[in-house]
Amino acid sequence: MSSPAFQIRSGRIRAAGAPGRVSGLAGAALHRARLTVVPRTRTRTSHLPFVTLVSFVLLSGVVGLLMFNTSMQQAAFTATTMEQQAATLNAREQTLRMELDALRDPQRVALKAQRMGMVIPATPAFLRLTDGEVLGTPAAATRENSLRLLPRAPQKPAVLDPAPNVVTVIGEPADPGAGDAQRHRGRDRNKQQQEPRSDGNR
Amino acid sequence: MRRTPPRPSARAQSRARGSLRGSPHLRLRFGFLVIAMVLSVFGARLVQLQGVDPHAYAAMAAAEGTDIVELPAERGDILDRNGKPLADSVDGAMVVANPELTREKAPELAKFLAGRLDVDYFETLKALRLKDKQFAYIARRVPASKAEAVVTAAEEAGFDGLDTRHDPVRDYPAGDVAANLVGFMGTDEALAGFERNFNGLLAGHDGSERYAVGVGNRIPLGQATIEPAVDGQDLHTTIDLDLQWYVQRVLRQTREDARADSAFAVVLDTQTGEVLALADDPTYDARDPRSAKAKGDLVSRAMTDVYEPGSVEKVLTLSALIDAGKATNKTRVVVPSSLVSGDRVIHDWFSHDTLYMTLAGVIAQSSNIGTVLASRNFETGQLREYLTRFGLGQKTNVGIAGETQGILPDPSIWTSMTQDRIAFGQSLSVNAMQMAAAVNTIANGGVRVSPSLIRGAAVTDEGLEVGTDTATTERVVSKRAAHQMTLMMERVVDPDVGVAPSAQIPGYRVAGKTGTAQRVGPACGCYNNTFTVSFAGFAPADEPRFTVYVVVQNPRNGGGGGSVGGPAFAKIMSYALSRYGVPPTGSAPSRLPTTWRPGQVASR
Repeated sequence: MSSPAFQIRSGRIRAAGAPGRVSGLAGAALHRARLTVVPRTRTRTSHLPFVTLVSFVLLSGVVGLLMFNTSMQQAAFTATTMEQQAATLNAREQTLRMELDALRDPQRVALKAQRMGMVIPATPAFLRLTDGEVLGTPAAATRENSLRLLPRAPQKPAVLDPAPNVVTVIGEPADPGAGDAQRHRGRDRNKQQQEPRSDGNR
Repeated sequence: MRRTPPRPSARAQSRARGSLRGSPHLRLRFGFLVIAMVLSVFGARLVQLQGVDPHAYAAMAAAEGTDIVELPAERGDILDRNGKPLADSVDGAMVVANPELTREKAPELAKFLAGRLDVDYFETLKALRLKDKQFAYIARRVPASKAEAVVTAAEEAGFDGLDTRHDPVRDYPAGDVAANLVGFMGTDEALAGFERNFNGLLAGHDGSERYAVGVGNRIPLGQATIEPAVDGQDLHTTIDLDLQWYVQRVLRQTREDARADSAFAVVLDTQTGEVLALADDPTYDARDPRSAKAKGDLVSRAMTDVYEPGSVEKVLTLSALIDAGKATNKTRVVVPSSLVSGDRVIHDWFSHDTLYMTLAGVIAQSSNIGTVLASRNFETGQLREYLTRFGLGQKTNVGIAGETQGILPDPSIWTSMTQDRIAFGQSLSVNAMQMAAAVNTIANGGVRVSPSLIRGAAVTDEGLEVGTDTATTERVVSKRAAHQMTLMMERVVDPDVGVAPSAQIPGYRVAGKTGTAQRVGPACGCYNNTFTVSFAGFAPADEPRFTVYVVVQNPRNGGGGGSVGGPAFAKIMSYALSRYGVPPTGSAPSRLPTTWRPGQVASR
């Protein structure tokens, strides 16, 4: 489209200034003023940035994908590890709870308490805090009304469970001279009496 | 080619080539044939894959790249009324070995394992040396963390061939407490008690998870389907663990001291009918059911034993009589030394001349003759109707399998002689829960509350809905009759006029009744001169909170309901009162007259 216009324009110029009709100076000026077609300067841009960009995009895509994949794997591993950890902790919690239940088993608590000399009271009595009145008939909890917590040991045959060897000692009038020997003998007797009793375990 | 003018040399050349390669038509046909054959093989294979059994191949293809993991459901816990576990599930594991790998270092490994797990050295050694096996159990039902720790430690110590697998542990932290109710689990199935009766509820449903795997690893965004496990539901009982423990210990002491066969007791919350304790002795350790000495120790005798209740039944007879308007607690009865009933003669437990007792005295002294004389005022069928409404002869349906119904004689065999004996508690049979609920009716002002062992509601495997939500109430006797009976029962524990002063709790008003019944022996089906002694009562008498019923079978120390059952009752009731913080009411105890003098004017 530009080329026909150019042609027309150059034609007109040619028609206006025909050679030979103007002076040399004018001719020179004319010559100077004459427009000529300048070859278009074609700047050859470098391919490098584009190639770099494309390969960067490609590379970063690949690397990104790789990293994404790796992080997914990593996350999966972490998830598995943490799940395992959760399972282990859960199992640990349950085991601890089991141990706790065993520790607060009433039988165990009662045995410990009884060993410390505690007795379950035989009669309930209450102290009203508002006026300090005692409700019920309080009675001392004694060893006699303690509860037997363990089953009674099976009865042993007579051979293994002889009757306690009881020696009755008739007190003699105290003799200051024989005091030492007396005490000594008494202690021996005590030992004799105690031994079968601890064997008997009834 | 054809356009090129034929040259002799070329023609000769082409003919020579043609002879080598054959004609193109032939070649084409041959080619088609080969293609057709190959295609038909493909076709046949396609038909085989898709037509013959497509699902099996699809499944095989799916299985190739997927892994299925079973998600085990956790078994529900059995809890007491305060949420303490009677039975709970713990994540567990079994330790298994591959004998092919363990055989070499078997003795060392066995020593290692025997030290860390609760296993026998020699059995472990045998398992580790099994021939031609790649699998052997070392320990089962080990808490998971412990099993993992042992296997890891073994690997670190250089032992190969150990592994763990899922194996849930069922733990009974309280051991023998409520063992008869809770029951126990076998290796894989529920064997007794609640565990068995509510198995469907407790077990839940196992789930499964399937996911895509590649080279042994799970593919992160691969296909995965999860069918979640439905955990079993917890079973909330009305049992109070600590009270149950105490009752069991008291029962054991009572049974041992009386040299009795067995003993059982029920503790009821008077108003709600909730069973706070249902204890049996002898019992067993639920953690080790094989420790039970007899098979009968595994069940709840309180629910399965049928026995004749004896004099405790007089409470029901006489309160029914008062309700029917046939007597009051001051009605005067002339009690002869013996009474003829049909072809038999009824005696009292103590020999006496003619006594002049009020109805309260009849209860306080537990006179059979007085009860029979009074009960002869009933209309025909009236007593049976009352006893039915008290709940005798029908299952209590509290959720225990194998509960006995008891025996309340049919009207067709209900003679006046039968009625005479039933009036004082012989010739009819009950279970302990029925009797406790019947006595609780008096404590609850004449309204019977059906007892319940389960909080809320639960459905047994037989489809029976039980629990506090389904508890019913029914008025059996009037409030006035129940009140009069309570005043009469208070005289039983009176040290001057009653037969069971040992059941008294100092400071409290206690109402109770003893029972000493003849027992029917299994051998002859007749009374075999052994006894069932019992004590039922409630406290505080004017505002009852608990009903306690203690039964001791065949005591050999010659004791009766008052001397054997009474102290046990007092201990259990004292503990319950102090545990639940029930102070004495402080009102004046019953002073009902128990005797009268002939010629005295009745003061009504």
